Order: sequence, then C-alpha cells, then structure tokens
Amino acid sequence: MDNIVGTKSRLVWVVNLSALALVLLWLFPTFGLLVSSFRDRDQITASGWWKAMFPAEQTLQYRAPGAGDAVDENGVFVISGNVFEGGRGSVKSFGTSARDPGAFPAGETVPADDGADLTVLQNGDFRLTSATEFEGRRGMRIFVTSVTPPRFTFENYGRVLGAEGLGRAFLNTMTVSIPATVIPILVAAFAAYALAWMEFPGRALLVAGVVGLLVVPLQLALIPLLKLHNEIGLGKSYLGIWLAHTGFGLPLAVYLLRNYMVGLPREIIESARVDGATDFQIFLKIILPLSFPALASFAIFQFLWTWNDLLVALVFLGNTQDQLVMTGQLKELMGSRGGDWEILATSAFVTIAVPLVVFFAMQKYLVRGLLAGSVK
Amino acid sequence: MKARMMAGAAMLALIAGGAQAQDLKFTPGEDARFHWDSYEAFGAAHDLSGQSLRIDGPWGGIDKELFQSVIAYFEAATGADVEYTGGDGFEQRVMIDVEAGSPPGLAVVPQPGLAADLAARGQLAPLPATTADWLRENYAAGQSWVDLATYAGADGQEALYGFFYKVDVKSLVWYVPENFEDAGYDVPETMEDLRALTDQIVADGDTPWCIGLGSGPATGWPATDWVEDMMLRVNSPADYDAWVANDLKFDDPKVVAAIEEFGWFARNDAHVAGGAGAVGSTDFRDSPKGLFQFPPQCYMHRQASFIPSFFPEGTFVGEDVDFFYFPAYADRDLGRPVLGAGTLFVVTEDSPVAQAFIEFLQTPIAHEVWMAQSGFLTPHKGVNTETYGDPTLRKMGDILLEADTFRFDGSDLMPGAIGAGVFWTGMVDYTAGGDAATIAAEIQRTWDSLK
Repeated sequence: MDNIVGTKSRLVWVVNLSALALVLLWLFPTFGLLVSSFRDRDQITASGWWKAMFPAEQTLQYRAPGAGDAVDENGVFVISGNVFEGGRGSVKSFGTSARDPGAFPAGETVPADDGADLTVLQNGDFRLTSATEFEGRRGMRIFVTSVTPPRFTFENYGRVLGAEGLGRAFLNTMTVSIPATVIPILVAAFAAYALAWMEFPGRALLVAGVVGLLVVPLQLALIPLLKLHNEIGLGKSYLGIWLAHTGFGLPLAVYLLRNYMVGLPREIIESARVDGATDFQIFLKIILPLSFPALASFAIFQFLWTWNDLLVALVFLGNTQDQLVMTGQLKELMGSRGGDWEILATSAFVTIAVPLVVFFAMQKYLVRGLLAGSVK
Repeated sequence: MKARMMAGAAMLALIAGGAQAQDLKFTPGEDARFHWDSYEAFGAAHDLSGQSLRIDGPWGGIDKELFQSVIAYFEAATGADVEYTGGDGFEQRVMIDVEAGSPPGLAVVPQPGLAADLAARGQLAPLPATTADWLRENYAAGQSWVDLATYAGADGQEALYGFFYKVDVKSLVWYVPENFEDAGYDVPETMEDLRALTDQIVADGDTPWCIGLGSGPATGWPATDWVEDMMLRVNSPADYDAWVANDLKFDDPKVVAAIEEFGWFARNDAHVAGGAGAVGSTDFRDSPKGLFQFPPQCYMHRQASFIPSFFPEGTFVGEDVDFFYFPAYADRDLGRPVLGAGTLFVVTEDSPVAQAFIEFLQTPIAHEVWMAQSGFLTPHKGVNTETYGDPTLRKMGDILLEADTFRFDGSDLMPGAIGAGVFWTGMVDYTAGGDAATIAAEIQRTWDSLK
C-alpha cells in the first residue's frame, strides 16, 4: 500500500514539474517581448532584454559638425560639441576609425585626420582642434563606446497605434469580431434547443448533418462564397465577413450547445411544459440561463478565432484603411518593418491584449462548458 | 543619435500627414524641370469626372504614399476618382479577386509570370497595339519591355498585356565609403578586383560580406539574385535567356558554375558575417545592418536598389552609405550586364478610365513626380533626368543606361513552382552545404515534372 501511495506522489511531482516547465517555456519569451516593447531601438540593438535593468554599453557613431561650424580661437580652429547631443550617458572610450572604435580612453587627446587633434571627455564633450582651417561640409566621424542608463518608454506604443496604423486596425478587428461572435451564438442557441428538445421528423438526420459539416474545410468555400457575395451585391464588406464567420462557426456552435442542452435535466423542462410554458418561454427562461457556461465557452472560442483570423479577412474584406484588420496590418508591418523589433514586439502586445482580457474574464466557464458539452 | 531619431520621427509624421492631404506635391507649372506641358495636354484630352478606378498592387508603406502622390496628378487632370488599395499579400489577393469576380480596375504585378498566368486565364484586357509601338519608341531597350509583357491570352492569341512602370536595378553592392577610406580600400572595377578585395579584407582580419537569405515563406530569394547576376557574368546573355526558358537545363555545367561562383562568396566562413551557416537564417532585412556597426561586421552587401528602406533610420544614401556596380569579369568579354526587375500595370477590368491611366503612365510627368521623390527608376527616354530627387538615383539610372545587357530577374520569369519554389529552397540547401550539381539536378527534375 505504501508503495502505491509513493508512486502516486512521485507522479504528481512529475506532472507539476512538467506543467511548471511548460508555463515557463511560454512565459519566458513572452515576458522578453513585453520588456522589449518598452525599450527603444538603440537599446534593443545594444543589449538583450534580460539586461534591460542595467546600464548598457554601446558603440555609437557621432558625426561632428562640418567646417561651417568651426570657430577661430586665436589662430586655432576649433569644432566642439557633445556626442550625446544633450542626452545622458558616459563615455568609456572613443576612436576615430570604424575599425577600432574604442581605441582611446575618455579624456585623452589624440591625433585625428588632416592634422587635427581630438579630445572626448567622459561627459561626452568633445573638442576638435586644428592649426589649419577645416574643410568639407560633412564633419568627421567620432566613435564612442558609452554607458547609457536603462530607460523605458511608451513611445513605441504611441507610434504603433498612431503612425503605423494599428489603432485603426484594432477598431476594424473589433468591428469584425464582436458581431461575428454574437450572431452565431444567437442562431446556434435556437437551433440547439430545437435539435435537443423539440420532437420533429428528421431531427437525428439534421444533427448528423451538422456533425458532418464540422469536418468540411472552410477553405473550400472561400471563393464560391465571395462570388456569391459579389453577385448579390454584398461585395467585400463587413456584412459579408459577419455572414462568412457566422457560417463557418455555426456547425461547431450548434454541436456544442446541443450536446450541452441535451444533458439538462428532462424533469425541469417537462414540468415547465406541464405548467403550460411554450417552447419559446422554456428556451428563454430555463434553457438559456442554464446553458450559460456552454454559451460562454463557445463565445471565447469564436471570439479568439475571429480575432486571430487572417485568411477569412483577406478574402472577404478589402485592404483599405477602413477595412484592414489587425492581423493584416501586422503582416504588412512584418514586411515593411521586419527588422524593427521594438515595433513588432509592441504590435504583438497590442494584439494579444484583448484576447488575454477575454480569456481571464471568462476562463472559469471555458473548462466547465467544454466538459459539460462533450462528456455526458 | 537622439536628434537623428527625432528627425526620423518628424519625417514619418510628414509622410503620414501627406497621405491625408491628397494635394499635389509639386505645383503644376512651377518647377521648370518637369514636363508640365505633358500634364496639361493629358488633362485637356481626358475628362473622366465621376468615373472611378481601383488599383491593387504590392506597394505598401512608403511606396504606397509615393504612388498615391502620382495618382493625385491623374485625379487632378481628369477628375476621375482613383483608389489604390495595395499592400502585402498582393499575389494571393489578386487571384482571389479575379476568380471571385470582383477584380480591381488595374493591377500592379511584380512578376511577369503572374501576369502571364492571369492573361492565360482570360482575366486581362489586352492593351491597344499603339502602346507596343509607343514602348518600342520611348523606352530604353523598348523591344525587351514589350517582349516581357506579351503573353498568350485565353484564346492562345499573343498580345501586349502589361505596361512596365518603375524598375529596380539589382546588380548593386552597398558599402560605407568612410569605412573603405579608413581601411584604405578602393571600389573594385572588375570581378577579379572584387574577389581580390574580398581576400584582402579577410587577410586584414575583417569580414567582407553580409549575406542574408531569410524572408519568411520566400526565404532564399536573395540567393537567386546572386546566381542570376553570376549567370550573366560567366555566361552569355543568350545562355541566360535559354536558362530562363529551360532550353538550357538547370543542371547544365554552365548553370552549376554560376551557382558555384555564388558559393565562393557565400559558403566560405571567412567571407560572410556570422559564417556560412548564418546565411540561410539571417533575415535579408537585417543583413545590411552589419555595415553600420562599429567595428563593421562586414564591408559589402549585394542587394537591389530598394534596400535603403531597411537601413537604420537617418542613414543618408550617397553620404553615409553608397553603392557600386556589381562588376563583371574583365577577361570574359561579356560587357557590363545588369540584372533588374520591374512592376507592370495590367488591366484586370477594362474601362475607359483604366485605359486612360495606362495612357497617363506614358506621359513624362507620371514618371517625373515619383523620380523627384525617391526610390524610382524609369527606362522612359522622354523624362528629364534632372528631376531625380537625389544623385544616387541618377547614378543608378546611369548604371541602367550604361548596361550592355539588361536582363530581367530570371526567377520572376520562371514558372512559380521553380522561381518561387524549388529555386529558393534549393539555394538555401546549397548555402547550408549541399552539392551544387545535385541541387541543380533536383531543380531540373521538378521543372521536368511541370511539363
């Protein structure tokens, strides 16, 4: 007996540890993205997100002003300024050649091009002196290896929502997702009640038909359906995509809700009938409140699916500003700003914000509704 | 650094602002460099008020704003209402749209292969015969542009279906002039020099090249450009044409030699930043960044004329970074071949306003407005090259004009399964260490299976 108990507890440990490992595996990169979304481009290139809390060492190129800004100080020509241009930082070392950007420690005076001398102080002030006049419109390059303090910013979010057009796309996605979640639930709840509790010939066949539809890939229907929309004058519009999402979501919705409703106690419904309630009253007053977990779990599914959907949106909606959904906008950003991690990380967080809220607000119904619907 | 970023942000804000105000970038009649007479004449000949046109194409982001600034002139001249709805995923979108019966009026197609496919399905309206004559007369190497846009329709009848507008030069090597100065390198004039420079940089303890093939589902395409460029540098233009048409087999020793030329650059750990193993996995948009690091991760980057969009913000082309022509072998006597690409306008739904827009693209002003901004090259001989917005564009234009041979990007002309399929993946396998002859033979097998 001791043996068995021992095995069991060890198994529990294994399960818990693997769950923990999986959670960490998912959370770790997500957290990294979150941190990155608050850092600016220079910091991201200079150091990894796990170093975000520490001062970062990075090598910058600063271009000194051209000959036009030189000042004549008693026969010596001087160009001066600050390599941080007013920003904060501290120079560790500097150089005049890209091949060896950290050649000299801060504070030293070293020979630069064309007989000039260069000094860079720790606070970033530099002084370029020459006995002869400077030439050229473009000044020389000064490379500094600097230590910049950690900095976090909301600029990325402002930029993504405004200039990069994600704000508008966010609203478009909302316009698609909310009706595309509500309409199928309304239709499916009625249908599920009828299939579960109303006696009529061919009911079993209809249920079988719905189950059969579950396995039809929606990709098959895309072009013919769009053709139909074009012929009846819907074209590429929000109404079109609501109808499409409704159609694609209905089989699962009807199946899930019907299975749940069949499991409700027959006695309640029959006693209501005896008391003279009509089918509509039974549906509204008894079935609907009792089916809330199933409705909620389907709503989460449908909402997440329409929120993350790209394929259906690409087909049934145009790609103008007022119709482009967030997944489409993200895809565009990947193309045009594929190397800008701060933009992509920020976009990712804007995208997952709503699904996260929906999931945490309704997750207690998710498991309950699913289990109740499938395991009878 | 900060001031630069602010400048970048200010520029973005300017661009965003320009998108909302659909007014004309350059006031008609004001700047004498522009052919305003062509604008006036076009406006006088066309009155399309109340008509509308939808154009779909692959240009998103900044290119979209620029193209919209060109459209604004068409709208002002004719009174028509034109909407450009392009962006990422154009290739799939246009197929869905024409199949479902809601095509745009005009489509801007980046691959002639796709346009040929649409024409064969009977989804395109042919352009009038006079357009072909116009192209022969007014475009540099006019006949080749006509040939590239002539396809068989659904009835098998050959006709001109596309009008090329906006071309790219691909045979460019990008470098940072000041890094070259610091290290004492000269811009190579011949392929022999380029190879010597590569060896020289390695001998100096640095890395000469940044090469990245990553591009999501299209990973591998930058390698096909390399191979095409090499094809033109070790084989004759006739061989190149035969190769694109598969009259010269993919596993022919001539093609394998071109692939191995590319391998000399990309498969040597000392030649590429991050080593040969990183070539396949580095994103092509990230790869040029090595040029701008200190100390530089690499000194050269071979990429088409569009790549400055992916340089760090605040980089001035022509000053911070410049380019030189990807040179040819001095001892092979193949001239100065140039590889390029371009976008062509096709009529997906015929209407007077769509045809008028194609006519508008024949006016010099439609080219000059974009030239005067950025990222636009044209083979139109009637434009005033003074209007090029910056000297680098003019330099690219010169490369185009000085070319002895101009060839269109071969992978865009090959069947999709090859040029946008096994050629890409095959080149990724090759950089990962596969054998050139074996990979070429595999690509040829796929091509055979298509016939």
